[in-house]
Amino acid sequence: MKTISLKVNGKPYTVEVEEDMRLLDLLRDKLGFTGVKEGCAEGECGACSVIMDGNLVTSCLVMAFQADGKEIITIEGLQSEDGTLHPIQQAFLDEGAVQCGFCTPAMVLAAKALLDKNPNPTDEQIKEGISGNLCRCTGYAKIVSAVKKAAEYLNQGGK
Amino acid sequence: MELKKVIKAEKLDEVLNLLAENRERAKVIAGGTDFVIQLREKKIAPEVIIDISDVDELNFIRKSGEFIEIGAATKFTTIKNSGIISDAFKGLKDAAGHVGSPQIRNLGTVGGNICNGSPAADTVPALLALGAVAVVKSKNNTREVPLEEFYLDRGKVKLEPDEILYAVKFLNSKPGQGLGFVKLGLRNALAISSISIAVFVETDNDINCKDVRIGSGALAKFPIREKEVEAFLKGKTLHEDVIEEATEFFGKILEQRLAGRPPVEKDYKPYAIKGVFKEALNKALSVVC
Repeated sequence: MKTISLKVNGKPYTVEVEEDMRLLDLLRDKLGFTGVKEGCAEGECGACSVIMDGNLVTSCLVMAFQADGKEIITIEGLQSEDGTLHPIQQAFLDEGAVQCGFCTPAMVLAAKALLDKNPNPTDEQIKEGISGNLCRCTGYAKIVSAVKKAAEYLNQGGK
Repeated sequence: MELKKVIKAEKLDEVLNLLAENRERAKVIAGGTDFVIQLREKKIAPEVIIDISDVDELNFIRKSGEFIEIGAATKFTTIKNSGIISDAFKGLKDAAGHVGSPQIRNLGTVGGNICNGSPAADTVPALLALGAVAVVKSKNNTREVPLEEFYLDRGKVKLEPDEILYAVKFLNSKPGQGLGFVKLGLRNALAISSISIAVFVETDNDINCKDVRIGSGALAKFPIREKEVEAFLKGKTLHEDVIEEATEFFGKILEQRLAGRPPVEKDYKPYAIKGVFKEALNKALSVVC
């Protein structure tokens, strides 16, 4: 076992991790952030994506001990304390960009990672931004619309 | 071996000392995008894992004299967005931008791309075409190896158990030079390359080919230089008919090389290479400045 410290959604944690544990397992099984989904476990589907030090990464490909000292954002960190949805979450609802919901947490985080760096992305940039996230329901069109709407909401100072 | 110890290194010296001490028992992890999968599939079973992903001394893109040097733990995203790599060598940034997905590019490193020895590594053909040299370090030594001599076999590179790839370096662009990169895969994101080609050209004003280097991916056991095609082009004027002849010649070479491979390779690749190679060469010519 190894002790590491990290921040998740702004809150500091000091935890013991097994040597062979992945960040995905740490977040889900030890810390209870079950919005992080395990899909393919090899970096292809993107369902386990989280934001680590500002960058979108697949948590199935990061060893837990590597996250020592990192700041992680999961879907649980997006809504306000009073339960108000984050503008990106609201945009996904408003555009009907959610069907079964399995890809949604990571898809929203992919949108956040993109919009944090580029507040006015083109359709092409949006498609690239979510290119590491598979969705088997929506056909992506509504997700692209939702990310555009999210950009509008955020540029207006949040909805 | 059972995994006993994991270490997140902060300094290069620390990494080199740990490797000297643990040798075969230790494995280095950087981006982890191949490593974590191999570990879980038990294809690798180290006793000690040394994480180099946050070692600043291995994370840089810099000009050094006539050279551009890229640290082994530099991520694909950093290479893709680099302002130090010139427009003439945009092909290298394109190659980094073709790796996996945004998530993979935010984790994966150029050193990992090289040292995992995948035949389909995307940045390696570009680095081969640039004539890159691998800089290797151990506790008491630093040595340089041309990247094209760094590969032993699929998945195997010439690194001793106490050594680490420190950086790759190549000569910075000069007027008349350009690098083009094209990848053929099933889709844009997350596709393992079926073919990737990088072409470096140096021409004079009359598009005479003064120098050319071609790096290929997924056409052999590991990424290689295509020296026969280079020899064919060198010294010629790069008119359309010459380029056409070169593409046919490249196709013939692959027909022979891939003769014993499954149909998807032996029938498809010699045919597909023609379009891919022509596009890469034209891209290289279009960025010559």
